Amino acid sequence: MKGYHDIGGQSAGEIPKVELPWMHWEKQVEAIRNLLGDSTRRVISLDELRLGFESFGIEKYSKYSFYRRRLEAMIDTLEHKGVFTREEFEAEVAQARARWDACATTSEVGHGDA
Amino acid sequence: MATRERPVARFAPGDRVTVLELGKAGHIRTPHYVRHHSGEVVQFCGHFLNPEDLSVGCTGGPVIPLYRVQFRMDDLWPGYDRHPGDVLVIEIYDHWLAPAATATH
Repeated sequence: MKGYHDIGGQSAGEIPKVELPWMHWEKQVEAIRNLLGDSTRRVISLDELRLGFESFGIEKYSKYSFYRRRLEAMIDTLEHKGVFTREEFEAEVAQARARWDACATTSEVGHGDA
Repeated sequence: MATRERPVARFAPGDRVTVLELGKAGHIRTPHYVRHHSGEVVQFCGHFLNPEDLSVGCTGGPVIPLYRVQFRMDDLWPGYDRHPGDVLVIEIYDHWLAPAATATH
C-alpha cells in the first residue's frame, strides 16, 4: 500500500549539500506544467501529475530527476487524455530535434565556438 | 457561480488529533510516518479541494478543511536524540484526522 515515493523515515545516508543549477529545460517543464494546470485550461492538475509519477513504476521514478519525472508524467497523462498519441509526440520530438541539430550546425559554422 | 458547500472545520488550534490509517490507494498526501501518531493542531489553513479527487481529474469538490498539525519529533522517530523540543509541522486534510483519544501530553 505504501508508495515507492513515500520514503519518510527510511535511511538515506548523508544528504549531499550541493547547490544544483536550475537548467533552462527544467524551467520550461515547470512553465508548461503551470500552463496545463492553470484555472483557465485545467488540462492537468499538479495532483494528477503527482499521481502520474507516483504510479509509473519505481524504475522510472528512481532513474529520473525531479523535473524529468514531471515531464514524463505530463507526456503520459497527455497521451492518456488523448491530447496527442505517442506516435504524434515522437514525430514532433524528431522534427524539433532535426531543427535543433540544423541550428546547432549553423551556429558552429557561424561562430566557431562549439 | 454556485457557492461550494464548506464542511465545518472540526478542529481548532490547540486540539489534540490522531492521524488515521485510511488504507487508501492513489495519490495520498498523508505520509505513512505520521499515521497512528497524535499531534496538536496549530493552524486552520482553510478549505481546499481534496488532492485525492484532483489526482483523478475530479475538480467538482467538495472542498475540505486543511490543518497544520504539529508532532514532537521524539514521538515520530524512536530513539530521536537531537533537541528534545524539536517538532514537525505538516498539513493534513480533515478526513485523515480523529480527535486524540486521551490527552497524554
